[in-house]
Amino acid sequence: MFRPDLVRFLTAAGAEEICVGSIPVLPVHPKPSELCSGIEESPSAFTFTPRRMRLDKDHDLFEDGDIHRHLYLRDSVAGMSELPQAPTVAEFRCHIAGCSQLFDTLESYEHHYDALHRRVCADCKRAFPSDHLLDIHIQEWHDSLFQLMAKKQNMYQCLVEGCDLKFKTSTERKDHLIKVHRYPSDFRFDKTKKNRRPPGGAPQRVEVSMEQGDEPGAGEPMEAEPAVQKRGDRLRPGYSYKVPASICFGQGSVRGFRGGRRRK
Amino acid sequence: MWRLNAVRHKARGRNTAGEEFRLKRREQEREFRQARKDQQLVSKRLIEEDEEEDEGAMDTADSKLWKDQELVELLQGVQHGGEKRASNLRTLRKVLRSPEAQLILIGLENSMQVLVGLLSGSSAQCQLEAAHCVHQLSSSTCARVGAACLPATPYLITYLSGQNAKFTELCLYTLGNLCAGNMAVRDKVLAQGIIPALAVCIQRPNLAVVEAVGFIVAQLLQAKDASEKIIPDKASEALISQGAVSQCSSLLITLGGAVATGNTEEGIELLIWPLLRCVGNLLAGSALECCASQLTDSRLLAALCILAQTFLQPHPGLARESLWVLNNLTADSSVFSSAVLYLSLVPSLIQLLPFSKGINTMVLQVLANVAYQGTEYCVQLTHSGLLPALCATLKMADPAVVTLSLEVLCMLLASSSQAAEEFVKLGGSAALEAMRYNSQDELRLRASYLLEHHLPAYSQVRSICLYFRNRHKACCCVHSDFKTLFCVLTAYRAKVHLLRSAVNHSVSFFLSVIEVKTPAL
Repeated sequence: MFRPDLVRFLTAAGAEEICVGSIPVLPVHPKPSELCSGIEESPSAFTFTPRRMRLDKDHDLFEDGDIHRHLYLRDSVAGMSELPQAPTVAEFRCHIAGCSQLFDTLESYEHHYDALHRRVCADCKRAFPSDHLLDIHIQEWHDSLFQLMAKKQNMYQCLVEGCDLKFKTSTERKDHLIKVHRYPSDFRFDKTKKNRRPPGGAPQRVEVSMEQGDEPGAGEPMEAEPAVQKRGDRLRPGYSYKVPASICFGQGSVRGFRGGRRRK
Repeated sequence: MWRLNAVRHKARGRNTAGEEFRLKRREQEREFRQARKDQQLVSKRLIEEDEEEDEGAMDTADSKLWKDQELVELLQGVQHGGEKRASNLRTLRKVLRSPEAQLILIGLENSMQVLVGLLSGSSAQCQLEAAHCVHQLSSSTCARVGAACLPATPYLITYLSGQNAKFTELCLYTLGNLCAGNMAVRDKVLAQGIIPALAVCIQRPNLAVVEAVGFIVAQLLQAKDASEKIIPDKASEALISQGAVSQCSSLLITLGGAVATGNTEEGIELLIWPLLRCVGNLLAGSALECCASQLTDSRLLAALCILAQTFLQPHPGLARESLWVLNNLTADSSVFSSAVLYLSLVPSLIQLLPFSKGINTMVLQVLANVAYQGTEYCVQLTHSGLLPALCATLKMADPAVVTLSLEVLCMLLASSSQAAEEFVKLGGSAALEAMRYNSQDELRLRASYLLEHHLPAYSQVRSICLYFRNRHKACCCVHSDFKTLFCVLTAYRAKVHLLRSAVNHSVSFFLSVIEVKTPAL
């Protein structure tokens, strides 16, 4: 359980070894805290300084020890083998503002993050299960030049990775998906964009489809869980999520590019 | 812990494995925690002779049958002397196990005078029996019962200098019980000279007596005004000057060694706990230089780590306090910070990071203390594998853990560019990105700062990609931006998702419009 050299050090080391003076002291400059400290315009957010803590007898840190002692005083101590107090394992929390979901393990947190936050379109905040689908989405929905290009050449890519075919219209692509790749006709990641204004105008705020409601309020990622397990199986994605309109996800920060839209 | 054997013997008599016992103990714990919050946690001790064990449980039932009149008769029997006096007293002692009988007795006229008279009388046997009776009364939680025993205190104190160890022990616990939670009694016994008497007792070679002295001193010190009335000024300095730090640390080292080799008895944590608190507070109470001469044995650090690891499972509170002492040792100390690195204790500390309720925060404090000393320390911490662990702690729920992780991370990233590269390779920058939009200022500001100042290549690539992706400006400066992009790309090998999408689509697409040749990506 313990490193043998540490045990040996504790129990059998010689006088010179145990002397603190024999340990080489590393140089203390430059201090990284100085490197961390802010430049004139913006003072550093970092405030850590080492400090020795003197704890009063009533301090919370001492509670467990005091309880144990009083149980002993009152002759209630059972052996160490009985009633062990297991240490609590830290939980993980999604730090995306507005999400705040808690997870027992790092894996379940990572899973959640991958499913809901990793590949998110910066403009309309939809999440996608793969880079390929996200790329296509951005290109087709948010790229103002796409429509122009589509008039000249086949621009609608097949959604299946590895199939490099391109089509003139989204309908043609959909047909291809259904006929050749046997996709369902209601594949969640093949929605057409509804245009309110004529193409060629400024990129508009996209109307969100029904399944992916865009209500303000806390996200409800519980529905995402089934899909997470089926991520590998594209034929039945089956999840939806609700994301508050004011949320801007990590990887798609657009604050610098779209002023005025973000409320914080 | 001499008492522990007696306790275990008793515990076996009851059904300790039973669910009932467990429930009862949990209830007791709950009560204690509440009492501690109210600063009302006071415990008395009741000593019973071993030979009484078997009859003990049965007799309580019997004594309930005693009515007032019967008690009066018993008391009269005690008062009137003769051969039956001692046996009457013994019966009385058993009767007094019942709280109702206790109340009745103190209400009877002259009852306490009789007892105190016998306590101070010439018959040794009656003295002992009377003392047992008073001891029973002292263990009562009812204030009136305790108050009735006050006339006995001067005698009890006098007898502390006697030779009979068991009798001394009995008097000590009785006095301790009477002082418990009662400042008036405490003031009285202080005036009656208890401290000098205790000073004599504590030098006795008998361990049970010494433990009893410890009990009563603890009761005296537990009072709220103890620091004004009992503890002298500059107590820490006095303790340190008498070698308290060196004694306590060498004991901790011995215990650490015993724990590491599995040579421990049950109840050893009852000894380790107060030692940790002594060392911890002595270190914090004065300048480290005063203690430095007593902290020459680097095994103390190893012992503290071993204790934290060993007791994590059965007593996480002890593990936490061990780490607290480690914090007090390493704070502002290049010597002990270097020692932590030199003795390769960092991996053991990292193993404690998954545990909450103050354990991971304390570990992070210790690591931050070490990192704070200088870039060389940060480099060694990075080599010990701290970055992957931080990538996990950054995602934890407790904001204090995340804040401390960011602080440590800042120091590590500031010390070397390799650390920054490794961090990005581990995917850590994504965690920071997520944090930029966190509602808590402490997290948001630190995360943003790190991304902007210590991971600039990452954020530069990102902004360039976003620029291309959004493509609001179809402009001719794309060429020089492009060059920047490629320079950054080749210099910085981090995998960024946006790169592929933005670059592959946007750039090649965009360039096909303006017909600029692009090198293969």
